[in-house]
Amino acid sequence: MTDPPSDNGPAERVIELRLPSKLGYEKVAMDTASSLARRMGFVPERIEALRTAIAEAVTNAIEHGNAHDSEMRVLVMLTAREDELVVRVADEGRKQLGQEQTAPTPRIEEALTRQDKGGWGIWLIRELMDEVEFTTAPSGGNQVRMVIHLER
Amino acid sequence: MTLQMATSNPFIELSVPSELGYEKIARDAVAAFARRLGCDRERVEDLKTALSEACINAIEHGNASVSGLRVDIQCTGMVDRLMVEVRDYGVRRYPGDMPVVGIDLKLQGLAPRRGMGLMMISQLVDEAGFTENTEGGNRFRLVLYFRRS
Repeated sequence: MTDPPSDNGPAERVIELRLPSKLGYEKVAMDTASSLARRMGFVPERIEALRTAIAEAVTNAIEHGNAHDSEMRVLVMLTAREDELVVRVADEGRKQLGQEQTAPTPRIEEALTRQDKGGWGIWLIRELMDEVEFTTAPSGGNQVRMVIHLER
Repeated sequence: MTLQMATSNPFIELSVPSELGYEKIARDAVAAFARRLGCDRERVEDLKTALSEACINAIEHGNASVSGLRVDIQCTGMVDRLMVEVRDYGVRRYPGDMPVVGIDLKLQGLAPRRGMGLMMISQLVDEAGFTENTEGGNRFRLVLYFRRS
């Protein structure tokens, strides 16, 4: 596997946000990302897609990667490039996600029978973003790298 | 981003490029955090304006508009207040002990017209001022009480 492209080139602007690992704080990440996306010129529909994808990614980090440990943090890194926005969401890896969890093909029949109605987050992220990649964060936790292209 | 606070109070840390325009992103992040803590809309609007001014000061004065630098922001929610600290790299040091001059003196020409940002900040939040920063740079603190006594 080749290394993912660097997200820190000279023409890029990076915003780092560290959040408590507690449900509800994903809204801070959503508002921060949408503020940057507006500044970059994304249309409202794409901003809504971005907000949903970030909400799912941060929620996954809180619930699964950090296993609801409120002492752990979630790192959201936003890299603005001329033609795209790269979002990396990393947890501290209390629980490592297996490949079967990051490439799901959910079935509606199963979703209807599951009590928590969960299991659709990563599928949704893949539907909404232009590129999605699951890797290990520099801290050793789980990381999802999502890219949304700016269409002019 | 090296700001830290060993506390069980919820806090967020944000680091943005030291460029005009990015204060809006800081403003929106902090507003979302304040709403999450239960601040009402009017107080959140005051905080947004005050924080924007503090960030612009950090970009233009503290970091002296030098490209490549960062502005770091930490917001901490406490039982009775929200505390926001804005830190720059201290290319220029602020006169932190300078009293905030009222607008009347400025309008009468008895005080410099500059410095309106600090004056506005002091009107919008409950406490505002520079704090000691042993790591270098300027550290400006804004405090918003959830309930006034």
